[in-house]
Amino acid sequence: MKTRRDLLKSLAAAATATMALPEPRARASTSTATIVHPAAKADAIIVLWMAGGMAAPDTFDPKKHKPFEPGLAVADVISTFPSIPTAIDGVRICDGLPEIAQVLDRATLVRSHVQPDLGSILHSRHQYHWHTGYVPPQTVACPHLGAWMSRVLGPRNPVMPAFVNIGQRLEGIGENEEIKAFTTAGFFGSEFGPMNLPYPEQAAVAVRPPRGMEPGRFTNRYEHFKKLVKASPASAFTSDYHQESMLRSLENAHRLLGAKEKNAFDITLEPKEVQEHYDTGRFGRGCLLARRLVEQGARYVEVTTEYIPFVHWDTHERGHERVAKLHQEIDRPIATLIRDLEARRLLDRTLVVIASEFSRDMITEGQPGSTATDQASSPKDFLLKPEHYGQHRHFTGGSTVVMFGGGVKPGFVYGKTADERPCIAIENPVTVSDLHATLFTAMGISPKTVYEIENRPFYATEDGNGKAVHAIFA
Amino acid sequence: MKTTNHVSALASWAVLCIPAIPALAIDFAHDIVPLMKKHCGECHTGDARQGGFSMNTREDLLAGGDSGTPGFVEGDAVKSEIIARITSDDPDDRMPSEGDPLPPEAIALLKQWIDDKAPWEPGFAFQRTTWEPPLRLREVTLPPPEGGRINPVDRLVDFYWQKQGVPRPPRSDDRTFIRRVSLDLVGLLPTPERVEAFVADSAPDKRARLVRELLDDRFAYAEHWMTFWNDLLRNDYTGTGFITGGRRQITAWLHRALVHNKPFDRFVSELIAPTDESRGFMDGIVWRGTVNASQTVPIQFAQNVGQTFLGINLKCASCHDSFVDRWTLKQTYDLAAISSAAPLELHRCDKATGTQATPAWLFEELGEVDPAAPPSQRLEQLAALMTKPDNGWLSRNLVNRLWHRLIGRGLVHPVDSLRLPPWSEDLLDVLAADLVKAHWDVKHVLETICTSETYGAATPAVTGQPQGTGYVFRGPLPRRMTAEQFTDAVWQLTSTAPPKPDAEVLRFDPPAGTDAVQPVGAWIWSNDLAASPPGERLTFRKSFDLPAEAVHGVAVFAADNEATVFVNGKPATKSTDWTQPVMELVTSDLRKGANEIVVTAANGAAGGPAALCIELRVKTADGGTLTIATDGSWQWTTAQPDGRGAFKKGQEPTDWAPAVVVKTQSTWHAGMADFAAKLLYALAPDTLPMVRAVLVKGTALMAALGRPNRDQVVTSRPNDLTTLEAIQLANEQSLADEFSRGGAAILQAHGPTADAIVAWIYAAALGRKPTPEEAQAARDLLGETPSKDSVADCLWAIVMLPEFQLIR
Repeated sequence: MKTRRDLLKSLAAAATATMALPEPRARASTSTATIVHPAAKADAIIVLWMAGGMAAPDTFDPKKHKPFEPGLAVADVISTFPSIPTAIDGVRICDGLPEIAQVLDRATLVRSHVQPDLGSILHSRHQYHWHTGYVPPQTVACPHLGAWMSRVLGPRNPVMPAFVNIGQRLEGIGENEEIKAFTTAGFFGSEFGPMNLPYPEQAAVAVRPPRGMEPGRFTNRYEHFKKLVKASPASAFTSDYHQESMLRSLENAHRLLGAKEKNAFDITLEPKEVQEHYDTGRFGRGCLLARRLVEQGARYVEVTTEYIPFVHWDTHERGHERVAKLHQEIDRPIATLIRDLEARRLLDRTLVVIASEFSRDMITEGQPGSTATDQASSPKDFLLKPEHYGQHRHFTGGSTVVMFGGGVKPGFVYGKTADERPCIAIENPVTVSDLHATLFTAMGISPKTVYEIENRPFYATEDGNGKAVHAIFA
Repeated sequence: MKTTNHVSALASWAVLCIPAIPALAIDFAHDIVPLMKKHCGECHTGDARQGGFSMNTREDLLAGGDSGTPGFVEGDAVKSEIIARITSDDPDDRMPSEGDPLPPEAIALLKQWIDDKAPWEPGFAFQRTTWEPPLRLREVTLPPPEGGRINPVDRLVDFYWQKQGVPRPPRSDDRTFIRRVSLDLVGLLPTPERVEAFVADSAPDKRARLVRELLDDRFAYAEHWMTFWNDLLRNDYTGTGFITGGRRQITAWLHRALVHNKPFDRFVSELIAPTDESRGFMDGIVWRGTVNASQTVPIQFAQNVGQTFLGINLKCASCHDSFVDRWTLKQTYDLAAISSAAPLELHRCDKATGTQATPAWLFEELGEVDPAAPPSQRLEQLAALMTKPDNGWLSRNLVNRLWHRLIGRGLVHPVDSLRLPPWSEDLLDVLAADLVKAHWDVKHVLETICTSETYGAATPAVTGQPQGTGYVFRGPLPRRMTAEQFTDAVWQLTSTAPPKPDAEVLRFDPPAGTDAVQPVGAWIWSNDLAASPPGERLTFRKSFDLPAEAVHGVAVFAADNEATVFVNGKPATKSTDWTQPVMELVTSDLRKGANEIVVTAANGAAGGPAALCIELRVKTADGGTLTIATDGSWQWTTAQPDGRGAFKKGQEPTDWAPAVVVKTQSTWHAGMADFAAKLLYALAPDTLPMVRAVLVKGTALMAALGRPNRDQVVTSRPNDLTTLEAIQLANEQSLADEFSRGGAAILQAHGPTADAIVAWIYAAALGRKPTPEEAQAARDLLGETPSKDSVADCLWAIVMLPEFQLIR
């Protein structure tokens, strides 16, 4: 009988021309043991990326709250939103996320995610770390989490790209080069890299003939290309490896561009009311696109609120006001995504993860004891103006990750942050490495998975040491 | 020579040592190996087997020595012989037999490791690879030439093939050869005319002449090899590090060095002991915040010097003594310390060791760096040592990389570890000596290789994956075009190259002896003292008429503290550092008739004098020249225009006042030499060669085709076309637009008949005539009356052919 892994392997081989690159090679074992992949709990993963630093106290980890009034003592307030009950008994989240609160019983909350102190906060550096598991700079280009999934598992449907990245522009915004540095398959090579779809509503364009070319003309062009290949005297090199792999990739590309699966990229094919329900903005439309792609067999989909310095979750000022808007942007689409996946019986095998590069706080920059330079100007003692009210500083000592479906315990809370400042993780801290180990384990990939590059091992989690948090699995 | 390559990979990366994660179990690579090496290695590893006991492999260790007692008992430290010996009180019994006993923490680690069943990295052995290239180049006696094949490459390769029983591949045909060698040496497709002339030429030395002609095409050569060097020196025009000022370009220096074929020893010296223009390489990338000790700027320097110039991988040894190589942590730090003004403390796996590095380089046999000298002198000493002809690593490493590019696989492969045995030591050393003897003339080595029959042979078809072991050289391999070659080729065929480069490089020879143009622009402000309150913002303007279209316009500009220049409502250039004037090509922003320059200038928050200086030099279609420079005819106002340098209708300021040439021009003297040098760009001839892909910022398409973002040194490009890339080739909009524009241009230039168009595309793209079957298929695609769309499609289909995308 074909094992699942065999099947995956054959699918991936069909989909990708050049799986068997001479480097990097997969290795079968580490120094301590043969690598045994765990049984997968999920087949697909959607990462909902709250780019810029989502404040846990203003979202999924509410603390003591006081509304703004001139002269409010910072010591008296941690959350700028009151809390509301959720579908999990005794678990509250911030007001502003009522829809997510209703589906939270499908989720595990990890309230003790921690990031390292890098001496100074640079978002893109922490994002690089979160997305690759390695803190830059590095001596090699590290693969993105999605590239690992793509490399080890391949797509679920050979026609579909395995790794899709939705909502992040890579040009024309601050720190774009730094974002590009991790939005890549790194040394795995671009076959395993992301298909980037910065505008969900334009995603269909990425799998359509170029503007100004009728589908008929596009097909005709490729048909004639094949005739020219056949007629070419270079076809004498029929078994030539380079020629073969090139033709296979072109064939794969045209297969996707001609397949019914390409409709998955077109969110306008959804009923109007569904589109409207998701459409709180680009992020909401991205959630709808993610659902469609996962339905058609994508493996790893990331949807971001988009990182732009000082924009979105990067609230250096007017934090409360801006987070109130962000709540509205994410609440309904995320809850709808969870309900839709559930209705389609996909939630059990799809892991949906809400995460961010770190949390935020009103006082501490970095974490207690850090030498990080303060990057916000709002007062740390008494708040005089409404624009001072909010989490304006970057905090790496404790944040929340929410995971839905995909084999996690429904209605479960893991880890804890202090109720008083500094709100650091005081129970079961989960590092980026351990969080990745958990995600890999859910997807059936050993955290010790290792590839050899430049004659040395490179692990899915740093040093192969990431430890999955098994307590959160059902 | 037989090589034992037992030393296999361990968790040995600098990047993998992260102290934040506590080691839960004993880590063989990081805990046990260094300990065994330090305390036991001398007598019990490698070739040493004192008492018949070797620790090279787990099996050896288990087997024990002459006494017959097993070295350890799996899972039971107490019963294990090695534990008994290292903890023994009996001086005759105790190990190590000389020196101090093991410290208690080392003993504890070994005990726990054995209790944990002594996990061992599969394939790891303490034995080292036994092959090491000699430091100096070896004298090689060339075998006698066969059949008139006198090129040293051929003499060695013919002999090798005979010995290996490999049949000599046939010669490539002329059309294949000219396409290959053009792409290899200047990165461009040969024009159809040049191909035909070459084929028609019956002179026996025509291949050698062609190679020389291509190498003599100095700018084309430079702008092709810049891709290679940008990768190796991780130079780029945009990228990580630039936003925080943590990185500098070496673009202008590199371009000039390649145009003038700077001898390689000078080239290396200027990168190691840099000028202001070339220091971007050794300065590395500075990240904001703290970085792992193995990624500090001095360590980056050591890693990059090792990898780029010597083929020595010091990345492992940046964290601990390398397990895969013989380099030690101390050697890396000592090399790094040469460049470091501050004392450098050795860090093992990011933990301080208390030991200070002593500036020193890797091969003291050739001489030493004076640790007491200041860093700048030490770097000069290092540069001198590196470029000694006796340093065989430098010359071997370069010729190996060149061979890799031209032949498709290194003599030593992968190319980043010169401690792997080459398939021909003789050939490696002969080429290296060829470089040194030619006074480090890189073009000379390229000429040696490209004029060999070995290079000129037909490429065999490669069936199956290229294999790593047991490699036998059979001839040159097909290679995929780089992103830059592919882009240039598309731009050649479609005439769609961008009008100006992003890289600031002088793409022509200025008149002999000219290295600067005397500026006429003066520093101006609102008053003759350049007095300005902190943060003051002023707007300046100047109107002028051009009697004809501009054919070449250059603006050079500097401002204290900062300013933006708008030419006819388009932001053209911005200065934020008056000591580094900026140059911008503004040809396309200018127009016949009335033109206006607007400058928004701001003084710094700290106050102090403020002023700006701009000079615009324009050549017009009627043959005239015009200089517009800051002087008393400019005007200023405090009103602020919009983001395009324009004022809303009805809100134009009415208080324009004459600008004033400030009295103390010498205040800004420091930048004026550079200002004068940048005015050289005004002397460009009317037509410059096509802007090359290497000179523009990487696009998403180029990235997809394998142009790296140059965070790291990159030494080879992907050789395979992936599905995601293929999607881009099929539908990426900018590429599709280039084909569209190309279709229209080709139809106009070579139409209207299908036959003529097909003939031209095949000639220009592939350097040959189509076969009748191909011509038929192409005509089918073009249709009876070719349209610009059908021509674009036909061109696309031919460009997608593996024959086009591969260099054979």
